[in-house]
Amino acid sequence: MAVSNVSSVSLSLSDRLVAGLVALLLGGFLVFGAGLANSSVLHDTAHDTRHSYGFPCH
Amino acid sequence: MIVKYLLAALVAGLFSGVLMTAAQEARVIPLILHAEEFEGEEAEPAATGTEAPKATHEHSSLRSVPSLMDIAVYFSPISVAHAHEGEHEDGGIMFGMSRFSGTLLANLVTGAGFALLLAGVSLLTGNPITIANGAIWGAAGWLAVHLLPAIGLPPELPGFPAAELGDRQVWWVATVVLSGAGLYLLILKNGIAAKIAGIVLIAAPQVYGAPQPSDLSSNVPAVLGAEFAVAALATTLFFWIVLGLSLGFANEKIAKAV
Repeated sequence: MAVSNVSSVSLSLSDRLVAGLVALLLGGFLVFGAGLANSSVLHDTAHDTRHSYGFPCH
Repeated sequence: MIVKYLLAALVAGLFSGVLMTAAQEARVIPLILHAEEFEGEEAEPAATGTEAPKATHEHSSLRSVPSLMDIAVYFSPISVAHAHEGEHEDGGIMFGMSRFSGTLLANLVTGAGFALLLAGVSLLTGNPITIANGAIWGAAGWLAVHLLPAIGLPPELPGFPAAELGDRQVWWVATVVLSGAGLYLLILKNGIAAKIAGIVLIAAPQVYGAPQPSDLSSNVPAVLGAEFAVAALATTLFFWIVLGLSLGFANEKIAKAV
């Protein structure tokens, strides 16, 4: 029954850790860019999103 | 193989970002636009042009693009107003997009980002996200990223008084990380020691305390702020539940396809 361990069935331990680290780094980069980066252009583009998500803004 | 799991997260994140945009347009954006009328001294006629709640995603705002850019210019000196950044960088919305397009793009990026973070935690800790537990994963993400940080730093409207931006961002990021780690220990680890450590991690940033403004006065009505805080938390809860469920769905599709 694969449902209870979806990822461990199809990914080896090292692959799983690599995938997890890549996902964390990439995700952190995207969230930082949209939510926290101190750039006027990024801020203005994401302004309403930043407020809606409760990111510290202004 | 690895790429497939990242793609699953991207698909779930983009999907959630689109739904989140609809939820924001319905509940949150009108409050932001309303608050912006109080933000500056002078009234802002341009804001009223976009204030009408958009029922659909198609934005027929081509004629109002100049006024939207005016708004963007109006907002661009954020760092000047708070004087924590010397450079007077020119702001404005990327690629000359409308305000709505910018928000949609930012929601897509944010959705993909949070989806990857959630998938990363799941992969690293070896606890797969499925359709059955997806909503729980999403709710935990909401607790860590929104509700727990909101105890110290409630979602702010434009024009709200706030402490130094850098201090708040550091506290926010630290609280998200500590809360996430604490929730992991509390929910997914067995043993009384792990549970206690989890509670300590969650409580630590709250006990330390978020940076608060020294002057609380604001032109924005308090009722708007209360409505906004609830609307922001409600829409983000919706976003995270959708994200957890769609990530579980995408994961199971991939597992079957392999």
